[in-house]
Amino acid sequence: MTATSIAPVKKRSLFGKEELKVIKDPLWDSNPIAFQILGICSSLAVTTRLDKALVMGIGVTLVTALSNVMISCIRNFIPNKIRIIVQLVIVSGVVIVFDQFLRAYMFDLSKQLSVFVGLIITNCIVMGRLEAYAMGNPPWRSFLDGIGNGLGYLWILALVGSVREIFGSGKLLGMQVVPQSMYEAGYVNNGLMVLAPGAFLLLGVIVWVQRSISGYSEK
Amino acid sequence: MNTSSNGYVMGFAIGVCVIISAALAMTNNALKPTQDEAAEFDRQKNVMMAAGLVVDGDTRPIEELKKLYVERVKEVVVNTKSGEVLQGKTQKEATQLNKEAAAAEKGDKSAASRYRVAALTTDATGKLESVVLPISGKGLWSTIYGYLALEGDLEHVRGVTFYKHGETPGLGGECENPVWCAQWKGKSILDEQKKLVGIVVKKGKVDPVIAADKAHKVDGLSGATITSNGITNFVKADLSAFESYLASLRK
Repeated sequence: MTATSIAPVKKRSLFGKEELKVIKDPLWDSNPIAFQILGICSSLAVTTRLDKALVMGIGVTLVTALSNVMISCIRNFIPNKIRIIVQLVIVSGVVIVFDQFLRAYMFDLSKQLSVFVGLIITNCIVMGRLEAYAMGNPPWRSFLDGIGNGLGYLWILALVGSVREIFGSGKLLGMQVVPQSMYEAGYVNNGLMVLAPGAFLLLGVIVWVQRSISGYSEK
Repeated sequence: MNTSSNGYVMGFAIGVCVIISAALAMTNNALKPTQDEAAEFDRQKNVMMAAGLVVDGDTRPIEELKKLYVERVKEVVVNTKSGEVLQGKTQKEATQLNKEAAAAEKGDKSAASRYRVAALTTDATGKLESVVLPISGKGLWSTIYGYLALEGDLEHVRGVTFYKHGETPGLGGECENPVWCAQWKGKSILDEQKKLVGIVVKKGKVDPVIAADKAHKVDGLSGATITSNGITNFVKADLSAFESYLASLRK
């Protein structure tokens, strides 16, 4: 958990400099996956297809944003002794609601995502943002922070998902993108991309590229 | 306010729990009908998938698939003891009949699941195309639910699906993998003497050189011996429950 602690600001505008920074930072500079290496488990497990990756990314974005707001609203009332468990209860509540909606309106996807929706509860990004940001900042900025971090997670997931779906099964969002003529010419889908190790390699490359562009290095 | 006193901590914890549980109960209540409908459609789709009317990941709109179900699939309630079909009964009435039978015949364990719903599909000319039987039983962690479709000859498997289970994803959960299910097709549930043998989920790979393997067995699920054995057992049990009905159809 690399906290991006931000000094209190006096500005009152809805999208001031601070607010924009809060939403833009996690997209690149302090990306939860590429920079903080959080949420790796789910990004390996649910990225075999782009639609799964997108739903998962949206789920994490909503959960992080909503639980950030809720915790931020009651941050001054939460007894320090039980703060983690209170955070967990709220996160679990939001995740279960999300899961229920998926089951009602996207039954097939919810079956395929199976336990991984429930596992958003233990996604380090969610808890990390609550502890590092929402506990010490007002609701609006916490909301933006949640959205920013969720989107930072989402785009990496979507990237991994697209690459895996295209090279692993020749499709994108369920539609054939690799033409039949290529298969006839001897092209075969890459089996590695369907399996978790493929995602691991891919993620490693993304982290490498991201870090060499942003110029970050471990001290 | 002293937020670290024991009383405050207790009160806060209880308050948070009550509010969150109320919110969850409300969401669940509001979404239940939609969820049930989605689950019922999923069940129907699996009947059609087993019968080969629909493939996994079919992109046709939901309405069209529902219409297809009404057109091609006929559900019948079967008395598995006598093999008779109860005309005009629905799934709900079958559940009720099971309850009554279980209450009336306490000593008979099979009474609680005597009345079961099978589905018949017909081809475009109205000829019997397949018989879809519900199969369910214990895997490792959970009860697995699925459908086994037999060809019109009532001997060879036309298709199989497992649509509801709580097995370990990637191990026992692989029972819903279409690739694995595809190898059930064409296997025979009867031996040469026309005696029921069921389908055996083998430990390891099927050896096509061995005649019994080729005819009745499918590859095991690696890392999921208990799920595999469970499937073998309940497929056989459910098939033998329907045996009297199948016998009456064979005539």
